[in-house]
Amino acid sequence: MNGIDKLLANPGVGFEANDDSEAAFDYCMERGWSDGLPVVLPTAERVERMLQYCDRPYDEPIVMIPPRYGAATPLRLAANAVMAGCKPEYFPLVMLAVEAMAEEPFNLYGIQATTHPCAPLIIVNGPVAQELGMNSGHSALGAGNRANATIGRAVRLALVNIGGAIPGIGDMSTYGDPTKFSYCAPENEAGNPWNPLHVEKGFPAHASTVTVVAAEPPHNVNDHESHTAVGILTTIAGTIAITGANNTYYASEPVVLLCPEHAATIAGDGFSKQAVKEFLFEHGRVPLGKFSKENIARRFRSKLADKYANASLDTMVSMVQRAEDFLVVVMGGAGKHSAYIPTFGNTHAVTRPLRHADGQLVKSIAEMRRS
Amino acid sequence: MTLKLCVTPEAPVAAAESIALQQRGSSSGIRFGILDNSKSNADHLLQFLLDTARDALPVEHVIARRKPAASRPAEAGVIDDLAREADFVLSAMAD
Repeated sequence: MNGIDKLLANPGVGFEANDDSEAAFDYCMERGWSDGLPVVLPTAERVERMLQYCDRPYDEPIVMIPPRYGAATPLRLAANAVMAGCKPEYFPLVMLAVEAMAEEPFNLYGIQATTHPCAPLIIVNGPVAQELGMNSGHSALGAGNRANATIGRAVRLALVNIGGAIPGIGDMSTYGDPTKFSYCAPENEAGNPWNPLHVEKGFPAHASTVTVVAAEPPHNVNDHESHTAVGILTTIAGTIAITGANNTYYASEPVVLLCPEHAATIAGDGFSKQAVKEFLFEHGRVPLGKFSKENIARRFRSKLADKYANASLDTMVSMVQRAEDFLVVVMGGAGKHSAYIPTFGNTHAVTRPLRHADGQLVKSIAEMRRS
Repeated sequence: MTLKLCVTPEAPVAAAESIALQQRGSSSGIRFGILDNSKSNADHLLQFLLDTARDALPVEHVIARRKPAASRPAEAGVIDDLAREADFVLSAMAD
């Protein structure tokens, strides 16, 4: 059992419950351990199977999750992964996503506790996405794929059960959003005419990574008529140019999610990924006068006075600080629908590679399984 | 009905309890801490609460700190100051 028996003997680590599915769901709901949907009871046998893909001490915290600052041990994370419905081979990505979220630039404390409706969007890159059967095509951010759905759900359950992001107590999101159930998908690298996200972030193509983004739900960009890069990007820029996004005020990295067809048209016209970002930075702007008088007075003239203290009302306000702040990701199947995903403010995306305990990059999830 | 041995998915809150116990009864009067999260009107709300507390309680000392942005946690130095100089801290979000 590799020590799990001993760990379960410690106070507060183990409990006994009826494994009947309805009774187990009731038991977990009564203790606040569910997202409101049925969960799988985290029996010792199931948790131990999950830990077959863990090469760390089971009871040593890999991170502390705010706002409770609960210790995220592999044992507790594995229990949450079981409850979410993960297969054991998904578990390394669950741990990796939790580690990425705990890095300071991501600002997990703020993301967990804010009134803003953000949730961690987990973007998977590299060969393990295909190995795990993840869906980067039609409805990648929708329902139907077990790995997409349960990896994202396991992370959410860990944020609640370990981090204390309990709605109305530790999670003060004004109205929440559906992505707080699960928000995970791989990039469609085959449909990406440029370097995929993890290569852009400096990792080799054979690495497998997760990138976490404190994201709002996607806003669709329908463009069936444009057949040039400038046409499609003009439509996207118009969707970006809004008056109610956190990104206008705080450093952050919103996501431009391109469907493969839009990406192909844009790249076919000679646009690099950087050129896409620069176009959107220049054109995705809002005249200062479009904001409310109160926002102009209390936000732009006051808190952002260094840029807008005396700016005229026709000054164009950019939606990000720098062109590089846009994360361009290719995702989805056939069709001409892209998306813009604003984010929380004061947050940066974090990309982490999947590594063995000795620091070597993981080439395959299968090689992580302990014998 | 068969009971199964399971692993709890929940983490306890240990640190906060110990801090609360250490601070209790450490002063003859109340050392009052304020942490303003910097949202609009938080300062007015906290001042109102402080004035109300002063009318009803033996407030000996007030230490007030303000976060530079609501969406970032308070810096460690701010937390250390409040932990050292206050018996309890009142924080507020407001809009």
